[in-house]
Amino acid sequence: MQRDICRILSNHKVTGNIYKMVIESRIISKKALPGQFIHIKPGDGYDPLLRRPISICDLDADNSQVTLLYRVCGKGTRLFTHTKTGDFLDVLGPLGNGFPIFHSKRVAIIGGGIGIAPLLYLSKELIEAEVYLGFRDETYMIEDFMKYSDNISIYTEDGSKGNKGYPIEALERNIRSYDVVYACGPKIMLRAVKNLCEENHIECYISMEERMGCGIGACLVCACESSSNEEYKKVCTDGPVFNSKEVNLDD
Amino acid sequence: MIDMRVDIGGVKLKNPVLVSSGTFGFGKEYSKFYDLNLLGGVAVKGITLKPRKGNKPPRIMETPAGILNSVGLENPGLDVFIEKELPFLKKYSVPIIANISGNTIEEYSLMAKELNDHVDLIELNVSCPNVKEGGIAFGTKSDSVYEVTKEVRKNCSIPIIVKLSPNVTDITEMALAAEEAGADCISLINTIMGMAIDIENRKPYFHNIVAGLSGPAVKPISLRMVWQVAQKVNIPVIGMGGISNWQDAIEFMMAGADAISIGTANFYNPLAPIEVLEGIEKYMVENGISNLSEIKINGGVK
Repeated sequence: MQRDICRILSNHKVTGNIYKMVIESRIISKKALPGQFIHIKPGDGYDPLLRRPISICDLDADNSQVTLLYRVCGKGTRLFTHTKTGDFLDVLGPLGNGFPIFHSKRVAIIGGGIGIAPLLYLSKELIEAEVYLGFRDETYMIEDFMKYSDNISIYTEDGSKGNKGYPIEALERNIRSYDVVYACGPKIMLRAVKNLCEENHIECYISMEERMGCGIGACLVCACESSSNEEYKKVCTDGPVFNSKEVNLDD
Repeated sequence: MIDMRVDIGGVKLKNPVLVSSGTFGFGKEYSKFYDLNLLGGVAVKGITLKPRKGNKPPRIMETPAGILNSVGLENPGLDVFIEKELPFLKKYSVPIIANISGNTIEEYSLMAKELNDHVDLIELNVSCPNVKEGGIAFGTKSDSVYEVTKEVRKNCSIPIIVKLSPNVTDITEMALAAEEAGADCISLINTIMGMAIDIENRKPYFHNIVAGLSGPAVKPISLRMVWQVAQKVNIPVIGMGGISNWQDAIEFMMAGADAISIGTANFYNPLAPIEVLEGIEKYMVENGISNLSEIKINGGVK
């Protein structure tokens, strides 16, 4: 874990409220694993106060580049959109546990909305994976996924792009052809993926999201119910990637 | 040569910069950023006799220049703390402050007795706003502050710090009650009770409804309370509540604090305590101050 002052190499809108930022960090680009995140201070004042956890979307270790994909959903992420090439960001990372990588197994990757962010880097490490991506209407980053994977299926709720419906429906049809499933996206999707995999005795890893304080395991605010219901897991340091059997996603 | 040492009930802190309970885990996390021996002391995450699961999420809400938290004293309990968590911190020479909360006075006493040989100081948490029993229930009436402090005093020989709640009419009454009962030091403030509402769902944001406010937003209040308490008591005062940089720390010392503690700032700036320490040192050198007590306004109004 490191604190790094990173130069912004680019920062632009992808579509709607989705932005892509590339920052320069030798340490993060060399060390980060798929599924890990970085904790970025928005602005240098006290409002907003806390850092924002952002998944690592892609890396280029040779050029010390780290790609981030983020959705504007509040004061902090809106401030990120105001930063420009050449500005500097105060970053902690890489943080949390990444996805365990199984090269010799049959794997599927499923993502929904901004949850696709950590899955790009994962699909780069698992080029044999079959990738299911779901969006509300606008799709994004598809070409980036196509660089790493030949087997991608796209779903939109309204059918405006790709197939109409949800990626979980397709995963359900093919579930028996996989040994491991990786997922990131809205809780409702994660819950469905978890249930589907557990019913079929398939190993499943999900990446969770929760509001965070410190991001390093000291403040205990990013709590997630464990499957035993006896304790909470810390999304920042026990996760953000969990074996689905570790966590309880019921409301 | 400047002297930054602080004496709390016989325990010598090498400098006045501490870290606050609940913001520093059991030390491990921040040891990755700097040598913990640089600190004046470490107040560990609040401990209860039995393990506590803590409150149902959500547990945090950002507010302008602050945060509301509702962690609810999640901790592994006294035994696990001593066996599993404490050995890491004991590898350092930094004084360890065990922050304890009880449901009853007996629980406070029992924990203090157990901890007596394991830690350097005890901090009585009579001010947590996020649990239903104990905690703040003891800290909002001067006679119960007196009673719990008195009983704990009988059960341990190490110095006792009483951590006060700001959620009272007159905090100096609580401070005086603690002093009279034998406390060696007062620390203040714990979080200020606050609230947030989820307007889409027309419900309080936190399951516990109220939560604890901390961060730079509370600093003027904590500073005022430190000033008030420092005027009244003759025991050391540890000031905390929104301290984010060395200038804030100097303000607290001018208000009468003998030491200061960094809390919420750890979350957004893991190096905050070290930056504050270096800032105080530089301030002393530049202003020809050789002893911390000279920083107090009027050389300490007591």
